[in-house]
Amino acid sequence: MTERYSFSLTTFSPSGKLVQIEYALSAVAAGAPSVAIKARDGAVIATEKKYKSNLYDEHSISKVEVITPEIGMVYSGMGPDYRVLVKAARKIAQKYKLMYDMEIPTIQLAQRVAEVMQEYTQSGGVRPFGVSLLIAGWNTTTNGPMVFQCDPSGAYFPWKATATGKNHINAKTFLERRYSQELGLEDAVSTAILTLKV
Amino acid sequence: LIPLHQIYVVAFLVSKEIFISRGSSLGFDRFITVFSPEGKLYQVEYAFKAIASSSITSLGVQGVDSAVIVTQKKVPDKLLDASTVTNMYMLTPHVGCVMTGYAADGRSQVVRARAEAANFKYKFGYEIPVDSLARRIADINQVYTQSAEMRPLGCSMMLIGLDESLAPRLFKTDPAGYFCGHRACSAGVKQTEANNLLEKRLRGDLALTKNDTIQMAIKCLMNVLAVDFKASEIEVGLVSAENPLFTTLTEDEIDSHLTAIAEQD
Repeated sequence: MTERYSFSLTTFSPSGKLVQIEYALSAVAAGAPSVAIKARDGAVIATEKKYKSNLYDEHSISKVEVITPEIGMVYSGMGPDYRVLVKAARKIAQKYKLMYDMEIPTIQLAQRVAEVMQEYTQSGGVRPFGVSLLIAGWNTTTNGPMVFQCDPSGAYFPWKATATGKNHINAKTFLERRYSQELGLEDAVSTAILTLKV
Repeated sequence: LIPLHQIYVVAFLVSKEIFISRGSSLGFDRFITVFSPEGKLYQVEYAFKAIASSSITSLGVQGVDSAVIVTQKKVPDKLLDASTVTNMYMLTPHVGCVMTGYAADGRSQVVRARAEAANFKYKFGYEIPVDSLARRIADINQVYTQSAEMRPLGCSMMLIGLDESLAPRLFKTDPAGYFCGHRACSAGVKQTEANNLLEKRLRGDLALTKNDTIQMAIKCLMNVLAVDFKASEIEVGLVSAENPLFTTLTEDEIDSHLTAIAEQD
């Protein structure tokens, strides 16, 4: 139906950078703060949801989304781009279940969602996603929690604790001081809320 | 067969490579939806400005048992058949919308929304809920912000309908692909003023009944535009618990509301 661009819009600069990805990261850094923490017996993801006006119906939209009963996701950056990735993640999870008759492990989901994000940095006529995802899940094989971050570049990282969005540098410094491997789930929730306030 | 505009873009990109410096854009961030150095999408921002170009303002209010959308009806030429001029559309028997912005883009979005709703009914056997339809339109808008070959549409859609628990809902979508439920919202030229006025008027728990909701919406629009409407100058769309089908008020019905408003002062 539509003419397709046959070349990528994300190209190398003379210094070897992919500037569109850097700009996408600026869009993420301007987004609402989000935080993810891996506790001893679980993982917490949280985000700030502030509306500028009382006319918005806060309960009509949710930012923290369920992908499978054991994996959840939150973001910093552009909401509309996030919805696309939520849909993609859910479809990936179901396809995996259909193929292997088991729930997708968190690392597999993170890797496949990151692959989708990478495709949009190289395919023709599209721009990178303007979101950083924080994916938290329970790993049934090791019986432990896992937290991953997926960036607009398509890179994904496992974390013990991390923050994205506005003020993420201060938030991460705060987490470095507060985090310990022995953190219980209740403590992790309060730490997450405190980090958002930083 | 490569389209000519693509050849121009490639030639431009190749020649620009020599002049790129850190932090500056190639110049295309204003023409297609790629990121600017500040992480913004200029094409999307321009699409928002296009919404004001239609020179009308619309607003919607969600009451306790009804949801109302109101818009100006401007017939620019006496030779036009006024009965064919409208910005209010029925998408399904239970969901209606008002389009603000470029009329042609608005119509295109309505046609697509109707197709999506019909497809949903065919596939799943029941009518699409208003929030799902709003989400679907917003998802389509998001694709236009990410692909270079299609521009974002210069229009905003406000949908009303009753949800599964028979509560009235009001949703608004915009060219950025964002959508949200609202207690009240507005779009068009006087959007900012209208939103400020609605925020003030809707402070606290008001529990507006059907007639209150309609009159609140009409009064706010009149205040913001500083005009006293005639019934032929506005359109009103409504869903309510007593009549869950989307209906547009007739001129006589609008007249009785305007009279009621005049009597209140």
